[in-house]
Amino acid sequence: MADPTAPAAGEQIPVTVLTGYLGAGKTTLLNRILTEQHGRKYAVVINEFGELGVDNDLVVDSDEEVFEMNNGCICCTVRGDLIRIVGGLMKRRDKFDGIIIETTGLANPAPVAQTFFVDDGVKAKTRLDAIVTVVDAKHLPARLDDSHEAQDQIAFADVIVLNKTDLVTPEELEEVERRIRAINRFATIHRTQRAAVPIDQVLDRGAFDLSRILAMQPDFLTDDEHEHNDDVGSMSFEVERPIDPEKFNAWIGGLLADKGQDLLRTKGILAYANDNRRFAFQAVHMIADGDFIGPWKDGDPRRSKIVFIGRNLNRPQLRRGFEACQAD
Amino acid sequence: MSGASLSPPKGPAFLVETRGVTRDLGAFVVAAAFDRSGDLAAFALGDGTLRLVEPAASSGAWRSAEAHDGAVLSLCPDHAPGRFLTGGDDGQFRRVRADGVAATLDKFGMKWVEHVACHAGGGGADKPVLACSVGKHVHLYDAEGGKLKTLEHPSTVTGLVFDAKGKRVAASHYNGATLWFVAAKTDSPRRLEWKGSHTGIAIHPAGDAVVTAMQENALHGWRLADGQHMRMSGYPSKTESMAFTRGGKWLATSGADAMVLWPFFGGGPMGKAPTELAGGDGVVCTRVAAHPQQEMVAGGFQDGLVVLAEIGSSRILPVVPPGNGPVTALAWDRTGTVLAVGTETGYAALIDFAKR
Repeated sequence: MADPTAPAAGEQIPVTVLTGYLGAGKTTLLNRILTEQHGRKYAVVINEFGELGVDNDLVVDSDEEVFEMNNGCICCTVRGDLIRIVGGLMKRRDKFDGIIIETTGLANPAPVAQTFFVDDGVKAKTRLDAIVTVVDAKHLPARLDDSHEAQDQIAFADVIVLNKTDLVTPEELEEVERRIRAINRFATIHRTQRAAVPIDQVLDRGAFDLSRILAMQPDFLTDDEHEHNDDVGSMSFEVERPIDPEKFNAWIGGLLADKGQDLLRTKGILAYANDNRRFAFQAVHMIADGDFIGPWKDGDPRRSKIVFIGRNLNRPQLRRGFEACQAD
Repeated sequence: MSGASLSPPKGPAFLVETRGVTRDLGAFVVAAAFDRSGDLAAFALGDGTLRLVEPAASSGAWRSAEAHDGAVLSLCPDHAPGRFLTGGDDGQFRRVRADGVAATLDKFGMKWVEHVACHAGGGGADKPVLACSVGKHVHLYDAEGGKLKTLEHPSTVTGLVFDAKGKRVAASHYNGATLWFVAAKTDSPRRLEWKGSHTGIAIHPAGDAVVTAMQENALHGWRLADGQHMRMSGYPSKTESMAFTRGGKWLATSGADAMVLWPFFGGGPMGKAPTELAGGDGVVCTRVAAHPQQEMVAGGFQDGLVVLAEIGSSRILPVVPPGNGPVTALAWDRTGTVLAVGTETGYAALIDFAKR
């Protein structure tokens, strides 16, 4: 075959999703990634409303086409254009090492993420690496007040590039970071000017890799109370006794079916009774994915953890539900 | 399932070993086609080239044409012998001649030219018509490449096909398909509606029905006489390849671990079970190609296996053994004498079925 350094045929190509409002610095970050000397080549999927030109060999111009799956799941929307584009790009897969998808400013990240869970062809050839959200430190508070999309972009993010920090006072910066944390305590935040963030902090994060789930949440248990309203918040729970898989499947299945529209992202690491292996679990809205990810390390406490990011999270109900999954 | 079981290595001999010519083309084979005369085969590749060869020439001089700066996305024979039409991810709609010279017919910037089609004229249509799809638009051209008209759809076109007479052109997209009269002065298309993402299209040779493949591993059809819906489901994966048999008796489809053939006679496929051919190995069929003259279908599978199945008897003839990568291209020449095979890993074969 043509290029010996090209990804092997069986290898999944990593995909990074870049979200953020117009003017936040998304394209600046994209151009940084593309011009940095990292010896890798990326295929870039942009939309026709992009703010600046993108200088790259392989740029695909796409209309974001979101459609509902006919599977009875009302929030199961996917990006049809991405399914086609990934299929097309795979015909020349030896020409690039990764795919970066830039979404329009107002885009809801859910359909992009769900595409990587729902479509078998996309799943076989690529893996969603991380959702990176670029926000403007000065204008984010106003955006969060007036739009669901701004909240959703924060809520879905694995990495948040808090950009244009030179345009705000230190107090304002603290406040905007507090508001981000109130929505999503689990994303990594980078404070930047002109989107200057080390590229390795943005790419190859493995944020949707089951074996790395929950690896990047240092403040896992420092919950603060969240009000039950339409704003997005995040919660985590931990239990001591092993989990009964049947009870957990029944509970989480029902919960996602019932509340999946409000639950943006769910992640968990579970210790099953009578099993030496860790079970990792994740969901985007109603679409779930889980697998064993190797044994617990000797000496590590075998505690099961679960994290929810979403709207109308009912803490007592979620806690009771998770606790009731423990084996008798 | 019916059909003979194949169990290599001990099993039957594969025809390619005695009647085939093979090549490693070094890039994803996107499509294969024969020109209108049937004397020239073309393989469209992910590296942007078209590989051309005359199957009859035993010396087998394969030529390479630089068709696109990127990947070739679509390929079909042009209206006249010795030429092909291609679409690429470089936004170009091109014509490639037998000598390897390519000319641009139209260009669309960064937009991909995802589908091409051509009707050679004759039959019901007077003149040849060329077509390509770019995003939501289907562009129609005359034989010289002069633009005739642009047909707009509600969302990106995912499949494009002329009817057998060349009078109508059909395009699949979200929430259904659209059927246009090529020659109509006022473009008042017939909208065939069904909610969901339709990802490919076929039209019955007698114009009885339009069938689309869907994202949800099913087919949807419309009987054109009365608009009756047809739903054909049960596939474990998406149908990427569909072909009506010559008389339109059967619709052969990929997407299951057998070639799945739906009956389009005696009232159509509604309420009937399809015929399954060459199944039982648990390997997904990725391409089908109906024989242009007889009730036979060639099928290519995920593991590289290619077989020829006779529909009436369910007899299976092994053509290419597994091991050359998922089959991504399969095409018959005009008379059904030569079969072209291409795979994801760049394997290409031409198999000669002529009587000896």
